[in-house]
Amino acid sequence: MTTKSLKRFSYTVLVGPSILVYSLVIIFPVVVSLVLSVTAWSGFGLPKFVGLGNFVEMFKDSVFYISLKNNGLVVAISMFGQIPLGFVLAYFVYRRLVHAGKFFEVMIFLPITISQIVVAILWNRIFAPVGMFTSIIRDITGNPHYNFLMMQSPTFAIVPVLFVILWMYTGLYMIIFLSNLQKIPLSTLEAAVIDGATEGQILGHIIIPAMVTVLFTTAVLAISGSLTSFALIYAMTAGGPAHFTDVLALYMYYNTFSYYRYGFGSAISVVIVVLSMGLISITRAIANIFERRFA
Amino acid sequence: MKRRSIGTVSPVARTIAYIVMILFTVLTIAPLVWMLYSSFKLNSEIMQSTLGLPTHPTFANYVRAWDLGNMGVLFGNSVFYTGVATAIIVVLAVSTGYGFAKFRYRITSFLYFFIMLGLLITVQSVLAPLFIVETKVHLADTRLGVLIPYVAFGLPVAVYLATAYIKGIPDSLEESAIIDGASYLSIFRSIILPMSRPVVATITILAFLNNWNEFPLIFILTSRDVIRSLPVGINEFAGAVNQDYGLQFAALVIGTLPMIVFYLFFHERMAQGFAEGALKE
Repeated sequence: MTTKSLKRFSYTVLVGPSILVYSLVIIFPVVVSLVLSVTAWSGFGLPKFVGLGNFVEMFKDSVFYISLKNNGLVVAISMFGQIPLGFVLAYFVYRRLVHAGKFFEVMIFLPITISQIVVAILWNRIFAPVGMFTSIIRDITGNPHYNFLMMQSPTFAIVPVLFVILWMYTGLYMIIFLSNLQKIPLSTLEAAVIDGATEGQILGHIIIPAMVTVLFTTAVLAISGSLTSFALIYAMTAGGPAHFTDVLALYMYYNTFSYYRYGFGSAISVVIVVLSMGLISITRAIANIFERRFA
Repeated sequence: MKRRSIGTVSPVARTIAYIVMILFTVLTIAPLVWMLYSSFKLNSEIMQSTLGLPTHPTFANYVRAWDLGNMGVLFGNSVFYTGVATAIIVVLAVSTGYGFAKFRYRITSFLYFFIMLGLLITVQSVLAPLFIVETKVHLADTRLGVLIPYVAFGLPVAVYLATAYIKGIPDSLEESAIIDGASYLSIFRSIILPMSRPVVATITILAFLNNWNEFPLIFILTSRDVIRSLPVGINEFAGAVNQDYGLQFAALVIGTLPMIVFYLFFHERMAQGFAEGALKE
């Protein structure tokens, strides 16, 4: 073999297996779901072409809108809960406002390591009649008959789910902010302090501008994280009561694997892919505009 | 390295910071502590005193949960899937990273973009078609049918990290080895792999954690209990022993403890890995 073809051969050996596995498991199914999304198919016989019928039906289905709204709420709790809170916690540690910052960091990040299934079951126990939360409220209020009923309410059942998501993932955002805050050169901060800058000025003129890219990255993370929130909600509420806590992933799951509507389920998958790619592209575009302004 | 805060901080700010920090930490840890000590209480004791510490600590829940919930098999399966998938991800990611970082082919930028696209595609959006495809080729409900998707979904972020890291390894090392007549694959084994140790550690830890806690893929792609993993098994077990909190807590701790121990050992790398992995732009 010539050196040139040897190089090409090596490249193929190095890169080929990854590309193959990735294409077969991720890209090929996406193509399959695109094809199936315009069919009606129960898994037996041949899929029947129905054009955009699945999408038309989906856009008339109230459960679709409930799922979409819940996905939106999960993004919102990340953007307006986890991201600001994670930033504040990271900032306290970064600016040494508390001692033993490392200890707090290790503890707050801990839930990330636990499976969503365990987290969901644990919090169901906490909110149960014989549960930690219920017992504490009974002790505080002196009302031995108190029960946590929010999870039976169609309107508010999603609230405990959102709280658990906040509980589980705030540490992740804290870690991301902290590791990026620590990249800001100390000399910049010292110079600002020597020049008599106030804490607010430091934050507004040094910290926030340096964090713009990271802020948008965490926003992207919030969006993609929301669309993957399957295991936690499945184990915690299974979408109940009556689909009021469904997210798109659960909506897809029930239609595909409980009702055996592979075509319809594929159409939902396509909507999930389009939504995540669309939202993330928009976020990135906005990020670019901001970066140009600050840079 | 210890460093004091720069400038003077008002006591009020300090107090607020402490209150917020302590409150959030307690909120984070209390449920886990409650889960841990409740697992040593029999169900009857939990019913009588939900918050109290165990008066007669017992391992009875663990013994029964291990037996009834088939935890031994589930645990073994979790170790198998996590270990094998993680090892394959590391090898494939570093070799691909080497190809992407050091071979200047025009197709590289396309292939790199192609794999990075995977960061935008969630597991949920391919579950249904993947199940159909695996059923057609008789991979559904087999161990291999679980491992292959685990590897595929671990690859994008791992390839991203490996490529970025290997780009930083100086070309001169590789070039002098080529002049000495070394083949590319031997360079991979004797230079790239050993020099990539830090990024290998990061990829290993991230993949290990993701695979250990993975739920949707194995839940959909398998149905036989003997090849399922802890998260799926624990979810079923918790449903089956709905009325016995003691057993449930024991099962939850069995599923959680290995990762918490792992975390306490590798916290630094794990945090760094998450921060880097999240910043894939």
